[in-house]
Amino acid sequence: MDADVRQMTWTELEALCTNLEKACSKQLRGEEAAAFAKLASFYGAKKEVKDNASIADLVALINADLSEGYARANKEAAAANDRGAKRALLWGEKSSKLLKSLLARYEKQGAALTENTGVFVCEICGFVYVGEAPPDICPICKVPSFKIHPVRKEAI
Amino acid sequence: MHAARNLRLCTKDCVCLFICPTGATNTENGQIDFEKCLDGCRLCVDACSSGAIYLVSSTYPKPQPKEEGVVKAIFDLARSKAEQEDVARSISEASDDAALRQICSVFEQSSRIIGEDLWRESGYIIAQSEATRTLLKTMIKEHGNLEGFPLEEVEELLSRLS
Repeated sequence: MDADVRQMTWTELEALCTNLEKACSKQLRGEEAAAFAKLASFYGAKKEVKDNASIADLVALINADLSEGYARANKEAAAANDRGAKRALLWGEKSSKLLKSLLARYEKQGAALTENTGVFVCEICGFVYVGEAPPDICPICKVPSFKIHPVRKEAI
Repeated sequence: MHAARNLRLCTKDCVCLFICPTGATNTENGQIDFEKCLDGCRLCVDACSSGAIYLVSSTYPKPQPKEEGVVKAIFDLARSKAEQEDVARSISEASDDAALRQICSVFEQSSRIIGEDLWRESGYIIAQSEATRTLLKTMIKEHGNLEGFPLEEVEELLSRLS
C-alpha cells in the first residue's frame, strides 16, 4: 500500500522526503540525499500556519495518539508480527509520552521549566530530556549521546 | 558494494592504506574513493582493527511486504505527528516568548523524528524501492506544475534510483 500523495499535507510530504534524504545520506549517496532535501524544502516552503494554535491543541492530539493511534497500530503490528513496525511504534510511543509530560510540566511551571537548564532531543528516536546534560546512552533507542542534541532558547 | 570509513571510529592506524590493492583508501577528504574501490573486496574492512570500515550495498533486496492494516495505522500516526509539528510551529510563530518557542521547537523536532521513523516502517525504509519510485512519479504528476518544484532533480533522482 502506497502513501496517497493527493491526500497528504505539505508537512507529511516534507517529512516523508526528509526521511528518504536521511536514508540516502546513510548510504553515502550525497546527490540523491541532496535531491530529496530539495524536494523536502519545496514542500516545507508551502506549510501553512494554523490560526489560534494552542498548547491545548497539542495536548489533545498527543492524547489521541497515546489513547487510540498507538493502541490500534500496536495491535495491527502484533497481529502481523511486523518487527520493524513494532520497533518504531515502541520508540515513538515512549517519545510521545515524554512529549506529553513535557507539555504538562511546561503548563505547570512555565518558563521556569527551562530557565537554568538545557533541553535535548535524540535525533534517532525523538527522546526528549530536560536537564544539564543528556544521558550517555539514549534510554529509548540506546544510541550514544553524541546523537542527542540541545535545542537552544533563542531570542527573536 | 563499496567500502566506507566511519571517521568517528577511525584511529588512523592506516592498515587500510597498506592493504588496499587500488589505493582507494588513500584520499584527501578522509573518506574512501568509492570509484576506485573494488566491488565487495573487503580487505580493508577485515584489516581495520578499529572496526571503522564497512561495506555499503549497491543493491538492496525488495522490502518485505507490509500488511495493509499496519501501514494504514502507521500512516494515521504519521499524519498526526505532522499535524502536531504544524501546531507547534504555529504557536511558536505567533509568540515572542523564548521559553514557549523553545518548548515548541523541541516538540516540532521530536515529532518530525518520530514521523520519519513511522514513514520508514511503512514501506519507505530505503530509497531504492518501487514504493519510492511510485511516490516520486506521483509527485511529478500532482505537483510538477507548481512553481519551484525541482522537476529536473526529481527526474534525475528517478533515473538514479532505478
